[in-house]
Amino acid sequence: MFHHTPLRLITLAALLIGLFAATLTAGYFGLEILAEIMVLAMLVIALDLVAGFGGMVSLAHGALLGFGAYAYAMMTGSLGWSAAPAMVAAILATGAVSWVVGAICAGSHGIYFIMVTLAFGQMAYSFAFESPYFGGDDGLGGITRPDLSAIGVDLNDSMSFALYALVCLIVAYLFAARVLQSGLGRALVGVRENEQRMRALGQITWRTKAHAFGLSGLITGLAGVVSAQHVMFISPGLMSWTVSGEALVVVILGGLGTLVGPIVGAVAFVLIKHEVSAITAYWHLVVGVILIAVVMSRANGIFGFVETQLAKRKKAPVPEAKPAPLPKGETRDA
Amino acid sequence: MLEVNNLDKSFGAIHVTCDVSLRVEKGERRVILGPNGAGKTTLFNQLVGEIRPDKGSIRLDGHDVTALDVPARARAGLSRSYQKNTLCDGLTCRENLSLAAATHTGAIRSLFRDPMTDPAVREIVAETAVLVHLAPYLDHRVSEVSYGIRRQLEVGVALATRPKVVLMDEPTSGIGPEMSHAFHAMLNGLPRDLTLVIIEHDMDLAFDVADSITVLNYGQVVFDGAPEAARGSTLLHDIYLGSWEDA
Amino acid sequence: MDIGFWLIQTLNALQLSMLLFLLSVGLTVIFGLMHFVNLAHGALYAFGAYVAATVSASLGYWPALVLAPIAVAAIGFVLYATLIRSMRKSGPMAQVLVTFGLIFALLDLTRILWGDLALGMQLPQLLSGRVTLGGLGYPVYRLFIIALGAAVFVTLALVLGRTQIGAMIRAGVDNDEMAACLGINVERLFFAVFCVGCALAGLAGVVAAPILSVTPDMGLQILIPTLIVIVIGGLGSLKGAITGSLIYGFVTTFGAVFLPGLASILIYALLALVLVVRPTGLFPARG
Repeated sequence: MFHHTPLRLITLAALLIGLFAATLTAGYFGLEILAEIMVLAMLVIALDLVAGFGGMVSLAHGALLGFGAYAYAMMTGSLGWSAAPAMVAAILATGAVSWVVGAICAGSHGIYFIMVTLAFGQMAYSFAFESPYFGGDDGLGGITRPDLSAIGVDLNDSMSFALYALVCLIVAYLFAARVLQSGLGRALVGVRENEQRMRALGQITWRTKAHAFGLSGLITGLAGVVSAQHVMFISPGLMSWTVSGEALVVVILGGLGTLVGPIVGAVAFVLIKHEVSAITAYWHLVVGVILIAVVMSRANGIFGFVETQLAKRKKAPVPEAKPAPLPKGETRDA
Repeated sequence: MLEVNNLDKSFGAIHVTCDVSLRVEKGERRVILGPNGAGKTTLFNQLVGEIRPDKGSIRLDGHDVTALDVPARARAGLSRSYQKNTLCDGLTCRENLSLAAATHTGAIRSLFRDPMTDPAVREIVAETAVLVHLAPYLDHRVSEVSYGIRRQLEVGVALATRPKVVLMDEPTSGIGPEMSHAFHAMLNGLPRDLTLVIIEHDMDLAFDVADSITVLNYGQVVFDGAPEAARGSTLLHDIYLGSWEDA
Repeated sequence: MDIGFWLIQTLNALQLSMLLFLLSVGLTVIFGLMHFVNLAHGALYAFGAYVAATVSASLGYWPALVLAPIAVAAIGFVLYATLIRSMRKSGPMAQVLVTFGLIFALLDLTRILWGDLALGMQLPQLLSGRVTLGGLGYPVYRLFIIALGAAVFVTLALVLGRTQIGAMIRAGVDNDEMAACLGINVERLFFAVFCVGCALAGLAGVVAAPILSVTPDMGLQILIPTLIVIVIGGLGSLKGAITGSLIYGFVTTFGAVFLPGLASILIYALLALVLVVRPTGLFPARG
């Protein structure tokens, strides 16, 4: 069950302070990387919610991210809405679509669940690729950032945008933490652990899964919107299953089921990607080997590993079970 | 409280439940006995809602629940413990009990309240832990505690939903003779307004705990009455061990 | 539209089906037997294509047809001994991730060994040229692919259905623990099946190389169709593999003709529909 342990709080604080400090001191390139980290961290927090805490490994989240981005782009582009209502609408729409996907996939388990989420993700990708509305392979441009001039902030400035992305990340994290510490969040973990038992207790488990997907979708929608606002251009590639795959890699790298792990993973992944790409054209090989190593080590990613090590030191022994006193007159067998 | 009328179920050519009827009053302790293959588990699965009967009806506290699925029946007040432990192994005993209690209080449906810190939930958890002797183990993971403790938790989880009727499938399954006595005492210590229906193999439990027993053989009810009456007759002996005519 | 058109389209669909069949049969039996999801199967197919292109450039098509599957089986041997054997009992997510990592690693490995440019492969004299069917010319090579796929299907059906080894494999798919109790050396069986599965992927690579371009991401491109085939067909069975392949081949080929914009969505929608109605596919080995 999710709790804010001291380790998690300290790590979270360190990460946020680090990101904040980096934002204030980084140059143009650094700010671009930071925005990329924040968007990825939001996506992976959303994925951790369903995969880590819900046990539902989704390969649809990349497509849902793309959906949020496209929704925002269409609303500010073709429909001419201003940024704020477009953001809210895009986020809600992504949440709704995610709920539907979760509800349809609720009956599948294990590898079949992974496949059916993949199917939905690829359907969206094919649709975006081939439909004339979405600009096809050329993508959609002309996306605008929110106008915060009322509070004296210009989001077209890279540093301001990176700080805005950081605020969104904090909101996403707090929202996820709140969900996990609610009745629904607790039920979700119960369903992951033993769905049969939860049904026997009276829980309508398909709804629990659907709600979890929907709430995860809200966070994914936010990530999609910020992503669109960042690059100000989107293409179908955003929805390809490899994005979902990458998100999964990041959550494993950071630590599944920890909520803080995703942020660690996002930072590590983006930094590794950029550092390695600067040295060699073969960063896929490096990531592949690291991924294999992490999974085979059976450790739960970087942050998960640290958590497990600390927990081992603090474990209290289980009390001995004492046999009950016998009724008078009976003797115990040897 | 629990009324079963003319329940019938076949799997292809095999007639597993043959026109079974029973009435269990509120607060009664009913034990269902029968040799392997008598159809106890199939009857049980029809009572909890995992299998739909071909014919007949089931009424819980006056309401017809025959068409309800497992979660709906649980919400109607029917709770169950499984023969094979069905617990959230990665969670602590406290968390398991809290989930059960929260489904009863409604805290599980909340988007704002945390059932783990909810006072109503905590109270139920504390009371249930006392009833099933789990207090020292509450904050340990299910995967860490012994099998006997897990069986107690299995009963505890069924109780924490504050049900009207608890159906138990071989609750002492796998528990050695030493722990059995404690288990029987625990069952006898449960609130008297709770209705218990227990499927069992263990005769000692039947005679220790039951107010009345129902005996199944080849899918049919062959005896329904007080335990003493069955003890006296050759019925149980014949069913389980065979009579002299078979020799 | 005349008979010629239908005939051509049907043959196109069959050819695509047979190519996918070669890929999916290995993958599905591996999953059915070992419960191992090998996402890197596509990467092995790509490797087979590259080896074939290289070998055929100096030795010709027919040696490549024989050597490439052997080479890929050898890689499978190494992978099994090092990675797969220890990951066998892990859950689907761990397997998906490890094989994902393999995809990444193998992708760059092919780029390191062969560069980024597309390679081509020449057809042998015997298989080039066209044959006249229904008034139109149809490539002989594509007929060869159909014939090869059919031959592999028949061979596998006979092996699985009529031989001792086939019976052991089917027993292992049904219940590997019980099969082990019956005295079947299940570990060795898995090892052998895995290598044969990889060889089939390599064969698919050789077969595909002359007609598709040999690029580093050809493995990724064929992966999703292969997964769709085995999931629709049902995991672990030969019947599932052939059914899934035929469904995929015909739906996408005729879909592209009649519903050009929606063709690719159609197959994903079909996959989602099958999984919702039959959560374990049409003909799984274990229902």
